[in-house]
Amino acid sequence: MENLLNELKEKVIETLNLMDVTPGDFDVDGQLVGGDLGIDSIDVLELVMMIEKDYSVVIDNKELGEKVFRSLRTLAVFIDQNRSKSSQ
Amino acid sequence: MKVRTFITGIGIITPVGTGYHEIQDFIRTGNPTIRPLRLFRSETVLPTGEVNQSFPNDDIPRTHRLAMIAAADAMKTNPGTVDAIVMATSTGGMSVTEELLRKNETAPEKYQYHAAGSVADYIAGQLRCFGPVITISTACSSGTAALKMALELIRSGRAKKVLAIASDSLCRFTYFGFHSLQLIDPSGARPFDLNRKGMTVSEGAAALLLEAGERVPETACAEILGAGLSCDAYHPTAPHPEGEGARNAMLQALEDASLSPSDIDYINLHGTGTVDNDLSEAKAVNQIFAEKKPPLSSVKGAMGHPLAAAGLIEAVICTICIQQNLIPANTGCTIPDPKPNLQPVLSPMEHPVDTVLSNSFGFGGNNASVVIRSVKGNGNPVLLKKTSPLEVIGCECITGAGGTTSTLNRFLNGENCNGVFPLAALSEDLPPRLIRRLKRLPQMALALADSLQKNTISFQSPLSIFWGTGWGALSETYDFLIKLFESNEKFTSPTDFIGSVHNAAAGQVAMYLKSKGANITTTGGDYSFEQALLSASLLHPVNTDESVLVMGADEYHTKLSGLFDGSVSNSRENSDGGGALLLKHPGTARGMNISCCFYERAEHHPDIIQALIRSLGSPEQIGRKFGALLVGIPASLRECGEKQLREFLNQTRFNKPVIDYRKQIGEYASASATAAVIGIKLLQLNHIPARLSGEHDIELDGKGILLIGTGTFVTAIEIFQS
Repeated sequence: MENLLNELKEKVIETLNLMDVTPGDFDVDGQLVGGDLGIDSIDVLELVMMIEKDYSVVIDNKELGEKVFRSLRTLAVFIDQNRSKSSQ
Repeated sequence: MKVRTFITGIGIITPVGTGYHEIQDFIRTGNPTIRPLRLFRSETVLPTGEVNQSFPNDDIPRTHRLAMIAAADAMKTNPGTVDAIVMATSTGGMSVTEELLRKNETAPEKYQYHAAGSVADYIAGQLRCFGPVITISTACSSGTAALKMALELIRSGRAKKVLAIASDSLCRFTYFGFHSLQLIDPSGARPFDLNRKGMTVSEGAAALLLEAGERVPETACAEILGAGLSCDAYHPTAPHPEGEGARNAMLQALEDASLSPSDIDYINLHGTGTVDNDLSEAKAVNQIFAEKKPPLSSVKGAMGHPLAAAGLIEAVICTICIQQNLIPANTGCTIPDPKPNLQPVLSPMEHPVDTVLSNSFGFGGNNASVVIRSVKGNGNPVLLKKTSPLEVIGCECITGAGGTTSTLNRFLNGENCNGVFPLAALSEDLPPRLIRRLKRLPQMALALADSLQKNTISFQSPLSIFWGTGWGALSETYDFLIKLFESNEKFTSPTDFIGSVHNAAAGQVAMYLKSKGANITTTGGDYSFEQALLSASLLHPVNTDESVLVMGADEYHTKLSGLFDGSVSNSRENSDGGGALLLKHPGTARGMNISCCFYERAEHHPDIIQALIRSLGSPEQIGRKFGALLVGIPASLRECGEKQLREFLNQTRFNKPVIDYRKQIGEYASASATAAVIGIKLLQLNHIPARLSGEHDIELDGKGILLIGTGTFVTAIEIFQS
């Protein structure tokens, strides 16, 4: 899980072009969307594409998205659970 | 003299029917035609609204074809031509372009109908209309915004007969774009329904022939009483949560129509079916119509959302409702969501309808509303008012040389400013978070706005913004399509889709400067900036001291610029840039004024240079008024442009310096925006330096600068001291 969290930090920064954010700035349990990092609903959609492409995990509706993108940890847990499901 | 604006012809082609009678039948039944995608093959099959019509498989795109059908329908009872065309489109030739790019087609001539502005040009050619020919591309509000522009062309006396047309066709770009935003309801759009999940992308076209009159013409179907424009300046896509911009547009439309909310018999809602749009629009409606709401409905649950065409398609539907006393159903809504608290009309009904308010909202926080009424009453006669020049408060430009100072240093010294200025240097003063999602064109627009803010004495945010661009956001457009193709239509970038609309940069500037008035994007190749300036003089409210920002810019893109813009492929060095002018209505003190005084289409117009000279007065007056000529000759039209220039010089015997500015600043569609800034600076300098005049320093002695555009259009912008 720690590895996935660290990987996600890098991917979020790269996908969203967060020029003034470093991996160390992430609070993995803090609010991901609408928090200090300046991530908004458009960024969430961009992350949805990245997650489907890189992890084959689909987040295709707003209700699910709201739960999954609560924090970086909820996102990592969701990816971990659904990724392992599909690879089993 | 007072003037009224009548609708004397209507044309329409939509998924729910073509022509008056089919649309009337649709209104009476409300039957939906939304069905799974059939127009092109895709593994992702979502509901769409498709026009039941196939066209020859040639170079002419579907948007152009649909537009021509609607235009011919509107003109069938009015033979002859029109004085002006105002077009609304967002897709232009994208349905053809995306296929060509997928096949890696490298022949520029194949892309001749790509431009959004090419639709209006195609229609103008068919109708032999000299113009003005203006294209508005403000995403989904374009149609209603075009109606406002057409109305003001008539009220200014600049045209007596105007054809307002809107057209958009289904294409992969919009289909996958809205899908990437998770805005498509898999069950088809259900506006205001409790279980609504989004919109349905659709297509279609409509045209309204508008005519000026003191009395009701025999052919009149209805009257346009007024229209209003606003910008949320809140978010690139999401509407203001309290419906602030929507409310402002509706209130302005009512004020422009000299009506109060109780005069409205029916509201045609924008009602796309997305959760946020419907809530925001409902809040705005509930605030304005707090005492009593008239019957209201959205037709997008039946036909889907035809994007830029929506506003005019719905204006035609409203006109038929007025003539037949009908109210269309809010198809798709079975259990009204209690949260918006709107109670839309669930079944079609016969009901007296005299006055209608119709809404259109779009990306970039763009809002437009229009009021249409039957011709029974006294209407809304408005005093005919000619447009006046605007006073320059500040100006900035970007070229390959950098910002305004570096550009002027080189230009006045007779040196070149062409090239592509590095992006990092362009936006080094802009906050990283502001630009992290933006590519070259919106960053250019923000850099221009930022320089104006910093360099204009006692700067105050402009009320309205007018933005001209020949090709729009090429980087976003290209990146969106390439990602889509490379992933076999599975993935793309929602951010690029949002940024790809022509008005995205204007929306960014509005958010940056908090400009909540009209926000208009015009596009028409090398004449896009002229369109923006002309539009500003027509649409910036006359009763305000607040300023208006008029901008023009185009980016150079390694893959697309050469394919789309013949002047780029004909130039030695790749260049881009633009200019921004902060303007206001002149006060009593002396100042520097600017005005786009001539804008006509050259094809089939042998007397165009005489018409230009007449619009400026006479050859003698031109000699007395202007001390130098800045002339724009696009490289791809050099022979034609030079001929037009020679004719102008011969007929006027103009013997002052003539500066062929594209030779110094390079080839890009909005080069005239940069030239306007240079013209203003030359006037401030009050002389033409020797290196530029080719001889010696030439004093302007208070005379103005004339900025002429040549090629497929001939345009004139005058810059002078009042």
